[in-house]
Amino acid sequence: MAIDPTASGNELSLELPGAIPRSGPSEEPPPAGIGPYRLALRRLRRNRAALAFGALFLVIALMCLAAPWYAKHVAHTGPNVNHITDTVKVGGKTENVVSIDGNPIGPTWQGKFFLGADANGRDIAVRLLYGGRNSLEIGLIATLITMILATVIGTLAGYLRGPVDGVLSRVLDLIWAYPVVLLAVALGTSLALGGIDLGLFQLKGNSLLVPALIIGVVYIPYAAKPIRGQVLSLREKEFIDAARAQGASALRIMTTEVLPNLASTLIVFVPLIIANAILLEAGLSYLGAGVQDPNPSWGTMISNGIPRISTALHLTLVPGIMLVLAVLGINVFGDGVRDALDPRAEVRIEH
Amino acid sequence: MQKGFRGLGAVGVVLAVALGISACGGSSSSSSSGSPAQGRNGGEATVLMGTAPDFLDPGLAYTTQGAAADWITYTPLLTYRHAGGKQGGEIIPGLATALPSISKDGKTYTFQLRKGLTYSNGQPVKAGDLEYTIRRSIKVNWGGKSFFTNYIVGAAAVDSGKAQKISGITADDATGKITIKLIKAYGAFTNVIAFPAAGLVPTGTKFTNLSNSPPPGVGPYMITAVQPNRTFTMVKNPKWASFAIPDVPEGHLQKITITINSNTQAEAQQVLNNQADVFDPGDTLPPALLGQIRSTAQNRFAPVTIPSTFYFFMNTRLKPFNNVKVRQAVNYALDKRAMARLASGFLKPECNFLPEGIVGHPTSCPYGDPNGAPDINKAKQLVQQSGLAGTPITVWGEMRSPRKEYVDYYTDVLNKLGFKATPKIISDSTYFPTIGNEKTKAQTGFADWIQDFPNPSDFYLLLDGTAIQATNNQNFSYVNDPKIQTELAKLNPVPTSQLNSVASQWQKLDEYTTSQAYEAVYGSEQVPKFQSNRMNFAASTIHPLYLDDWLNLSLK
Repeated sequence: MAIDPTASGNELSLELPGAIPRSGPSEEPPPAGIGPYRLALRRLRRNRAALAFGALFLVIALMCLAAPWYAKHVAHTGPNVNHITDTVKVGGKTENVVSIDGNPIGPTWQGKFFLGADANGRDIAVRLLYGGRNSLEIGLIATLITMILATVIGTLAGYLRGPVDGVLSRVLDLIWAYPVVLLAVALGTSLALGGIDLGLFQLKGNSLLVPALIIGVVYIPYAAKPIRGQVLSLREKEFIDAARAQGASALRIMTTEVLPNLASTLIVFVPLIIANAILLEAGLSYLGAGVQDPNPSWGTMISNGIPRISTALHLTLVPGIMLVLAVLGINVFGDGVRDALDPRAEVRIEH
Repeated sequence: MQKGFRGLGAVGVVLAVALGISACGGSSSSSSSGSPAQGRNGGEATVLMGTAPDFLDPGLAYTTQGAAADWITYTPLLTYRHAGGKQGGEIIPGLATALPSISKDGKTYTFQLRKGLTYSNGQPVKAGDLEYTIRRSIKVNWGGKSFFTNYIVGAAAVDSGKAQKISGITADDATGKITIKLIKAYGAFTNVIAFPAAGLVPTGTKFTNLSNSPPPGVGPYMITAVQPNRTFTMVKNPKWASFAIPDVPEGHLQKITITINSNTQAEAQQVLNNQADVFDPGDTLPPALLGQIRSTAQNRFAPVTIPSTFYFFMNTRLKPFNNVKVRQAVNYALDKRAMARLASGFLKPECNFLPEGIVGHPTSCPYGDPNGAPDINKAKQLVQQSGLAGTPITVWGEMRSPRKEYVDYYTDVLNKLGFKATPKIISDSTYFPTIGNEKTKAQTGFADWIQDFPNPSDFYLLLDGTAIQATNNQNFSYVNDPKIQTELAKLNPVPTSQLNSVASQWQKLDEYTTSQAYEAVYGSEQVPKFQSNRMNFAASTIHPLYLDDWLNLSLK
């Protein structure tokens, strides 16, 4: 993936609505007395499409959060419970959950096996919701990791410049040099077997934190580079000079002057990183390098359904649709947030 | 073996320790039909192969795919009957006039070579060629060479470079008499001599990999037009018919083109559409096409059971499987019908370690009918009695389907019994070396064994305490039972030809093994016999060892 920069190299140039927003010629000037964030909110409210897709994502997220309730009270089964030789009544007829030749039942449109079963006789709807929980959890944790580390690295590199910038930028270049998917697959397959053991910090191979950590790390350069560019620009502003003249330390300037002015950029990045993290998680899980058994994930569900695609299309279709809707929802909403905060910014993360 | 002769190399190490093993795996074997119906002579056919042969050079081939081509091109002194089912596992004279005479101590085998044999290039066959052939297999590093070096006097010295010739093999070119002396009695040695790697090649054949231009042999067919990993052709050897070897007939087809196609979906589709003639029985039919094949091609498709054992190993050195009640509980709880469904019906539910088709296979099961419902209550009761409920268990498995699904199901069963089980799925290529490493401390997981040859000792390597080793271990359950060891010491040296005389002893041993629940056996694999409309389906067979038996292929 690559950040689509505006003009200069790989670094993103964003206008900062926080302090002194620069109005474009086509934009109406902000009414007197209204803050930049209130103005952004007003713009966002006018973007019905973004709000609709944001709501869609919210609904999916809420549904996924309700997975345990659905499993217990509606489907009466768990995400990993096998029902291979069980039967279920559909329209008064008793049917095998998994047929003698291994074909699972399709959607029953009732509480049990609402969206059908997989080859192991597990309820697809239950696994779909649990898989969504896992995807969202990984997406959010990965985004948190990316944003925290990218902000720290980008701010230090941009503000301190010199050798610090040189070292940090080369490290970012090193990560950037590898295609995201290849790097993530390489890390995923190796860590899935042995997990992570750094003494005090230990993770088992099948922990959800492993793919979250991998995704969080591989996306750092894509956020850190634009942030560094922003900081390089900010550090030349008059209010930074004023702070320096007052004797403020570098750390104080970075935390009290620079970071608040990065807020809108960070806000714009969050939904985009979440969407990409969910997609990458699905891709990694599809390839066996992401979420590990027994945890369900939309990616693993699609992968498991591929061999039976012509006889049990629902195995791939259902998780595929959920993945598309979730990513579309957060992506369009993210675009809306970006437009609201800075209509001229072109923040994109592309694979 | 666990899929086409695979793993024999690892087994070689084990052999050094214990008895002969084989590790390969593979794929194939037969069951259903016995003697084939008569087919029409002439014509050509296209056979698909999902995995390319490892080698076509008989001195190197060690997969079912390689053996399928080599066993009808390089006939050994002894070979297997060209039939399906149990008959296919019968050792018959090949280039030898009869089965060998074996000394009383079981250490000397004497063969008589047929007269008037020539290689496909016209060169006469000499008795001394056997020593050269076996020496060549050792020197070019055949994966199963330990079958020779561990048993034949002087073979190990040749392997280590301390000797130029194998002292234990003597031959008289004038009379055709061949004598092989063994270091120790090994009942399955006739099976060793029946390996295609012991199929004669002329003295002087280079000690290099000749897969791209295979050397001349003595067999019904010749390998020609080799394009590595793409295709090769089998054409009839015009000299074979004149040898009139009773149980190794000439083939029906004039020419067989073998095309390598790793896409099983495309492979199955081609056979379904009659664009190719034979689906590789070593491959799995894609579930997506299975329904269509069963409905529209039912007269040219049949699943065939091969002597194999699919099971979950349970490490008897580690909790909770060091408790016999826990192991028995697992055997009571496994629903073998569910396993068969996970295999899309290509698994025959079983309960005992020795599969059907192998001498000593027990017919009863102490854990209930393998085709019936499991006894979960009894299983839970046993776990309660063991006091080990709640023990964390890691269940190891492979990624490929349906093996991953087997492990997912097994994990769920263990959790239902009250354990805290989680699956650990790793790549197929590293699976067996990983669980076979003592340091891994694998508690339980998937395992399988497909016969290298039809002898119960081939299966009991997996339960032989003397075969336990730190790496490449095949005794995944770490079984070291004095009773099993005592019985194996008595039964392993019994020659293959006399196996039936000790069938009841093997059966008792296997019943004891099942009662101790050292493994959780759930079935035998079935392979697909699937052909085009052009082929005489009834006349063809799936061979229990090599799967493909192209001698029995014929057109309608």
